Amino acid sequence: MVECYTPKSLDEALAIRRRTGARPLAGGTDLMVQYKQGVGITPVFPFPVMIISGIDELKGIETCEDGSVLIKALTTPSQIASCEAVPYLVRAAAGRMGAVALRNSATIGGNIGNASPKGDLPQPLILLDATVILRSQDGERELLLDDFILGSKKTDLHDDEIIYAVRIPKVEYSYIYYRKIGTRRANAISKLSLSALALVQDGRIIDFRASSGAAGPKVIRSHEAEALVVGQRLEDIQAILPGFLAAWDAAISPHAMPQYRRNTTRRMLEHFLTTVATAPQEGVIE
Amino acid sequence: MTRIDDKIRRVDALEKARGEAKYLADLSFDDMLYARFVRSTVARGRIVSVELPDLPEGYWYISAKDIPEGCANSLVMIAGDWRCFADGDVRYVGETIGVLVGRSRAVLKALEEAITVTYEEGEPAVSIDDALALKGGPILEKDDIHCSLVSEKGEDVEEVLARAETIVEETVETGFQEHVHLETNSALCCIEDGRYTFYISCQCPFYVRKSVAGLLGLKPQDIRVKQTTTGGAFGGKEHFPDVLAGPLLVAESVVRKPIKLVFDREEDMLYSVKRHPSKVTFRTGLDKDGRIMGSDINVYYNCGAYLSSSYVVLQRGVFHANGVYNFPSTRIHGYGMATNTFPSDAFRGFGAPQTLFAIETHMDHIAHRLGVDPVEYKRSCFLCQGDETVTQGHIVEKVVLEEMLEQVAAKSDYWRKSKEYGRGSGKGIGMSFYNHGGAFTGNGEQAIIKAHLKLVKDGGHFTILCGQTEMGQGFRTILRKIVASVLEVDLDDITYDNPDTDLVPDSGPTAASRSTMIVGRLAEEAATKMKERLGEDHVEIETEYSHPEGHPWDQSTFKGDAYLGYGWGCACVEVEVDPITNEVKVVGIWSSHDIGRAIDELIVHGQVNGGIIQSLGYASMEKMENRGGHFRQTSMSDYVIPTSMDFPRQEWGLVDNPYEWGPYGAKGMGELVFNGADAAYIDAVERAMDVTINKIPMPVEDLEAVR
Repeated sequence: MVECYTPKSLDEALAIRRRTGARPLAGGTDLMVQYKQGVGITPVFPFPVMIISGIDELKGIETCEDGSVLIKALTTPSQIASCEAVPYLVRAAAGRMGAVALRNSATIGGNIGNASPKGDLPQPLILLDATVILRSQDGERELLLDDFILGSKKTDLHDDEIIYAVRIPKVEYSYIYYRKIGTRRANAISKLSLSALALVQDGRIIDFRASSGAAGPKVIRSHEAEALVVGQRLEDIQAILPGFLAAWDAAISPHAMPQYRRNTTRRMLEHFLTTVATAPQEGVIE
Repeated sequence: MTRIDDKIRRVDALEKARGEAKYLADLSFDDMLYARFVRSTVARGRIVSVELPDLPEGYWYISAKDIPEGCANSLVMIAGDWRCFADGDVRYVGETIGVLVGRSRAVLKALEEAITVTYEEGEPAVSIDDALALKGGPILEKDDIHCSLVSEKGEDVEEVLARAETIVEETVETGFQEHVHLETNSALCCIEDGRYTFYISCQCPFYVRKSVAGLLGLKPQDIRVKQTTTGGAFGGKEHFPDVLAGPLLVAESVVRKPIKLVFDREEDMLYSVKRHPSKVTFRTGLDKDGRIMGSDINVYYNCGAYLSSSYVVLQRGVFHANGVYNFPSTRIHGYGMATNTFPSDAFRGFGAPQTLFAIETHMDHIAHRLGVDPVEYKRSCFLCQGDETVTQGHIVEKVVLEEMLEQVAAKSDYWRKSKEYGRGSGKGIGMSFYNHGGAFTGNGEQAIIKAHLKLVKDGGHFTILCGQTEMGQGFRTILRKIVASVLEVDLDDITYDNPDTDLVPDSGPTAASRSTMIVGRLAEEAATKMKERLGEDHVEIETEYSHPEGHPWDQSTFKGDAYLGYGWGCACVEVEVDPITNEVKVVGIWSSHDIGRAIDELIVHGQVNGGIIQSLGYASMEKMENRGGHFRQTSMSDYVIPTSMDFPRQEWGLVDNPYEWGPYGAKGMGELVFNGADAAYIDAVERAMDVTINKIPMPVEDLEAVR
């Protein structure tokens, strides 16, 4: 037996959520797989479920006055990948999630709520200091996605809350980098991923960030390690590089294939920073 | 009128592309029940007790106790050691202990979860090395060797090695491979007209009835088997359907209502046969000029808990262990190791791919050591017509490897690239050579199979009756095309349906690349005889296999011509390796094959494309690990096979070399095309990264360990 609700509006969904604790099910690309019972058997959910895919208030992408981009929870990876307002790194990650069918049915809210360390979207979102907006009948709260995701499959979502949207602030950069190493070229789960970003002004690094996916229980950023790079002049990058790489290596904690994940992460960061040090034309570093 | 050289659309293409084809999962009968296996959760142990919950009305639990007294708890494959139901002990994770039968699949699942099996666990031997070390004590009576053989040629290898200037020693290993046929294993058993009847997704309907009849003390002909449209097999449905059919038959004898069993993907991944993992060791003696004087080779295959068909797989591995090369002296020992893993079984290539990968890689390493181009080195050892094989037989046909090499080298620009791309430059090109013995090993075709085929004419329409199955390889099209071409009629004038053992003669299994070569020949002969009698209204012609002259074989000593003829292949792969991530991008694939002659170029093209991609998947990404007897990859997202995005468009060619005993000169080809791209890929990756690789698969994380 599945206790299942199909709210027509966000208000109704919030009411059901508070009353029953029902978990939202949108594209079903995680939950239906996780709770399948086999061919010919109805999936069994050990909790009430509400199918929210019909709620239009939770769909769409908006650009706000401050330049931030608001992606509502039920927006699909296909929509994100094809929307020019969305920052490049997020589009790149969305465009490489699973197969076409999955990209058309999965949602950003689900990908965040599932909180898998291998999830594609949280990694660049956390790099960009994206926030998540949560709604309940009591109102709204907004917190950093990095704080919302607590660990593998763990979030700070309260029992009466629904993920409403993700807000990506406008981030200036000179150089960006994105790599996903999947199990194969298409329709693949991430073995390792990395985003990096640098803002350079007058030969000095004003902002530097990196985020590692599939390299620990959650997406990893290390503000301490980043601080070793911020403020440095381009010609000093080589000198601070070993210290930075060691600090980043200490921050990640890959469980499986640690040798590959650590070495490749180090090589990717080294490649990004040494390329930035040559002051190439601004844009995406290949 | 259909001519043999026409390129035609496969006869089953539209119904499959449109989703109209009916597979076993689509079948439904009145009063139909479902089955669910109760399987061992430990790799090795004694069953202390099986505690059942109360079964609701209309639900059954069937196990070894339901096999009638005096009947053997045995599935007769090539050996009969695989038990229908575990009884007293379990020997691998997933071994069938019992089967639950009833109307609701949800109830069956709940009942299965409520069964408590208590074991006294033993320490499992999982790998070849575990078995060699007799981990946990012998699995068999005194050791862990299911089967072994030795093949010797030339002088005594120890004496040859004693004279050698250098001895190159190395070990090459390959992993499990899962078939991942699109349609999972499925079967249905019922009683029709008072006889046990199977509907089943399988390659070999006659194998099924032979395998299971003894469970009820029946004769094979007492059981009727109807093949249902089969969505892929690759060898995974050669013997394995018996493992579904056996328990279903025993259940049917008790329940007497139609019972259907369809594995879901996870079951099919975890609890089905795989390709034999292998370990091959070489001690190869070189003279002062680097020429190979002889090689001492040990071949170990991980057969899993039961022998089933593994002895024949091992024989094929041993007989292909020298690749396409003529070494003056060889001694090849083969050992089929017993372990507590799911039994290994047939998979496209049937034991040949493992040893062919090993010898190609070994040859590449020797050439690298000598500082010569591997292709130059390999071609200096090519087998030629008349040369002695490792079984002291002879290569009967003309060998066209040089022509194939020339074709592939020209298209790929191999010689220039091989010279220009420095080792470790990130770019690499590799080339491999391989063959595949056609049809059954040794005297199997004449002594065991004795294939028959029948062609019937009714008015202006013809019907082909034989046991060969379509499993996606295109045989329904091929066989109709052969007959249509001989008779000079349309393909539409010929019927050839999925076989039903009550209606067709036994033409042998659909396996061993034998269907076109052997059964196609029988069809060609039948059609040729039929052509003389086109004036008659009703004609039935039955043809029987006859062994070509001049292929002596002694099954007791494994000496003579192990195969009737070989298909030959050459594959070239070019790669670029990302120095940061180890990701390998294949930028070019070229191949040439000698398959005698192509019956249909489109189907051959499909086989070449598919076989090479499957081989590249085997080498690069298809990783199936086993820990403590449990497979770790359970779904198609963690056991990945290539998509069309992973590899580029292939260029391919054929060298015509008509085979005297095949229809229109055709030889077998379905397995050949799997046998070599893996080694070409690894050769290219080794050159690009300047590393030495001794095992496959090699995903990015394993490349990290060798760089």
